[in-house]
Amino acid sequence: MDLTAAAFALDRAEQRRDVRGSSEGTTLQSGGDSASVVGLRRVSKSFGPIAALKDVSLDIAPGEIRGICGENGAGKSTLVKILTGVYRPDQGTVLVNGAPASVATPRQAQELGIAMVAQELSLCPDLSVEDNIWLGSLRVPFLHKRPELRRRAAEALALLGADHIKLDALVASLSMGERQLVEIARLLTRDARVLILDEPTATLTDVEIERIFAALIALKREGRSVLYITHRLAEVYAICDRVSVLRNGELVATSALTGLDRAALIELMLGRPSGEMYPEETRARGAPALVVEGLTLPGVVDDFAMTVRRGEILCIAGQVGSGAAEIVAALAGLVHNASGRVSVNGRPLKLGSSARAAQRGIMFVSGDRAAEGVFRRLSVLHNLVATRLRDHSVFGILRTGTLRAAAGRLAMRVGVDRRRMRSRAEELSGGNQQKLAFGRSIERKADGVLLMNEPTRGIDVGARAEIYRLMRAFCEEGYALVMSSSDLEEIVGVGDVVITLYRGRQVGHYRRSEVSMHRIVADITHPVDQVP
Amino acid sequence: MSEQTLPGTWQFDWRLPLPHSRRGKVLVAIRAIAVLALVAVAVATPGFFTPVSLFSLLNTTSFIGCVAIGMTFITLSGNIMSFALGVTLSTSGIVFMAVLPLGLPAALILALAFGAALTGIQGFVVGYFRANPIIVSMAALALITGCATLITQGQGVYPQGEAAAALKGRFFGIPMPVAAFLFTTVIAQVVLSFTRFGRQLYMVGSNWRAALAAGLEPARIVLGAYVAAGLCTALAGILMAARYSSGDLELGLGYDYSAISAVLVGGTAISGGEGSAIRSLVGAFIIGICQALLLLNGFSTQIQYLVIGVIVLLVIMLQTLADAE
Repeated sequence: MDLTAAAFALDRAEQRRDVRGSSEGTTLQSGGDSASVVGLRRVSKSFGPIAALKDVSLDIAPGEIRGICGENGAGKSTLVKILTGVYRPDQGTVLVNGAPASVATPRQAQELGIAMVAQELSLCPDLSVEDNIWLGSLRVPFLHKRPELRRRAAEALALLGADHIKLDALVASLSMGERQLVEIARLLTRDARVLILDEPTATLTDVEIERIFAALIALKREGRSVLYITHRLAEVYAICDRVSVLRNGELVATSALTGLDRAALIELMLGRPSGEMYPEETRARGAPALVVEGLTLPGVVDDFAMTVRRGEILCIAGQVGSGAAEIVAALAGLVHNASGRVSVNGRPLKLGSSARAAQRGIMFVSGDRAAEGVFRRLSVLHNLVATRLRDHSVFGILRTGTLRAAAGRLAMRVGVDRRRMRSRAEELSGGNQQKLAFGRSIERKADGVLLMNEPTRGIDVGARAEIYRLMRAFCEEGYALVMSSSDLEEIVGVGDVVITLYRGRQVGHYRRSEVSMHRIVADITHPVDQVP
Repeated sequence: MSEQTLPGTWQFDWRLPLPHSRRGKVLVAIRAIAVLALVAVAVATPGFFTPVSLFSLLNTTSFIGCVAIGMTFITLSGNIMSFALGVTLSTSGIVFMAVLPLGLPAALILALAFGAALTGIQGFVVGYFRANPIIVSMAALALITGCATLITQGQGVYPQGEAAAALKGRFFGIPMPVAAFLFTTVIAQVVLSFTRFGRQLYMVGSNWRAALAAGLEPARIVLGAYVAAGLCTALAGILMAARYSSGDLELGLGYDYSAISAVLVGGTAISGGEGSAIRSLVGAFIIGICQALLLLNGFSTQIQYLVIGVIVLLVIMLQTLADAE
């Protein structure tokens, strides 16, 4: 089972053939491209002076899994919101089964069979799976037959290959991936014919991702269509039949994935060749900056050890829940019950306080920007200088001049437009917000250690390359970088040293030259003694 | 669109510093409408523009204002409000009156320290134990009221001698409470804008977890905010006790509510991390003028409560709308 997961993520070419094979029947039945379950005709939508969508036409065939790609702000979410009745187009029409249809409210969209799988799931954790599936459904008559509802709920789950989910289980007891399957089942009982998924895999483990993919392929066999929005190109290749690329509100291409290589897809998204995504390895390595021994987080991580040198990026690879992110957070002083011997530049550091860690030059960039990354309501300037007020104050009084100058320097270093200094952080794109988090973490007097959790989660391809370049630049300056990641491409692309983790235990330790995706996938899905 | 980096291009922004965000615009609109309405009613109210009425207005507003400035620290720190500031005001006044025989300077210091300690304990519980600030303040209200009633037997405390007379006078022609209010506002604004503590307070209020991740000590900063609130409130308590020549539990009644109204009407975000002392000053004047106008037009205290309740409700609804972009 786990090996299939590995194959799924990796051998995309083969996988694509697989998917295509299974879909041939339905595609033929539907008569090729001319049939469309849902479509857009010359749709435009503006918000004030900003055109979010310009003249977009699109057709989704029955039984098609369509990828939607584009950088942040390309118009993906506007497109989805028009299809689901949240926004109305300024111009153009929405077509359902080839005929113009009014999709003015989310409820109308639902009645037409267009359903969005909510990202922040709309399930009630304290109710059972069955109750959640039927909750709020207009198809349940006042005098209903309970066995009948039960049977249909079970059928919907079975269709998704999720028979293992018990109808009486509380949703609170399910994993994120299982909840997503319940959510999809719930939409199926409402006869959804087009399901829209927006970054469904961001919080899932590889095994769960595989389950979701299997469910989507089952839907496709049934002749239902899926709109799949993601930043992870590997997933587009693994699951989608065709991909539509949006750029600055325009639909730049809709293409079959066979024959479209990844570089070409990235170029479509960016409008220019991507250049090198991952910069060159740093030449010089320095002394060990951070040495960790016997790090234990009760119930999560057991006896973890590592050494990070200046000028290198150490990557802790593991699935969500493996403890990789928790190790990084613990080193940042954010886990209270962490124990172990940690030394920074040769001097021991007691864990458990982020302020103490910061004083020793350990800075932390969170993967969860909204919750613990940026100060959304504060200005770009104040976000950039958040950690270094002490360096720019005398007896607690700030020296605004030098503070401003420092912020300007930092903005330039991390590549944030200096004219946006007074904008609130929340007005910036995800990529730029992440740059703020980097900006405030560097240029301390101490020889720094930079800790990162999933540094590019939810960040588009263009900004991602910039973040990687930034990380390399810090290496060149002598920073030691530690990051946790569950993104295979990223791990292989940027890690100078990769430590693989499975359920809180180290599995492997590789130098850059020894790293391969296959090894990592095998490692992070198996306990030490069972790695094939 | 304009997210492309243009290194080295540092252009000065010549436009008026009008807010870009919808939230900011809503704020400006609320203030403009409120001020216009108030001016209209004030002009139509006979006896409003007389020295007596204006001085009385200034005095009342100053007491509300001092507490509101204190409340601003709590609200900015992300802890919504405290129900215990009114009773902190009363008890600080009582302490001031009780220790006045030790001399004015000693009495001032002791009363301020007392106020700071009362709120500081709440700040400690809220900051270090992450307790719900509203519940903590309600518990504090009950505790303080209970203890104070036991100790004073419900009686007022009257000053021995005339040591407090200096506080009833004027400071360069400005009534003492008004001077104290303006002084508090200026100091508070300077602390918020130009000190490390002030900036960190905004960060903690904006996002506690991000502040922790950035290596700040949010709990300590929250404690600081509560202490600042206690100091401002105690100052109001001292001046009020001096003005009425007695320390009494009744003095601070309703002031926490007026203060939070002023903070919110002024435009400080109820969720923390955004606002200022100047805004609360404006808010205090709006609330003070409302109360004065209602009083002059012969409305009872109940109606005053009702009107201010409606105003606060409207402001909260507008804030929420502006946030839900």
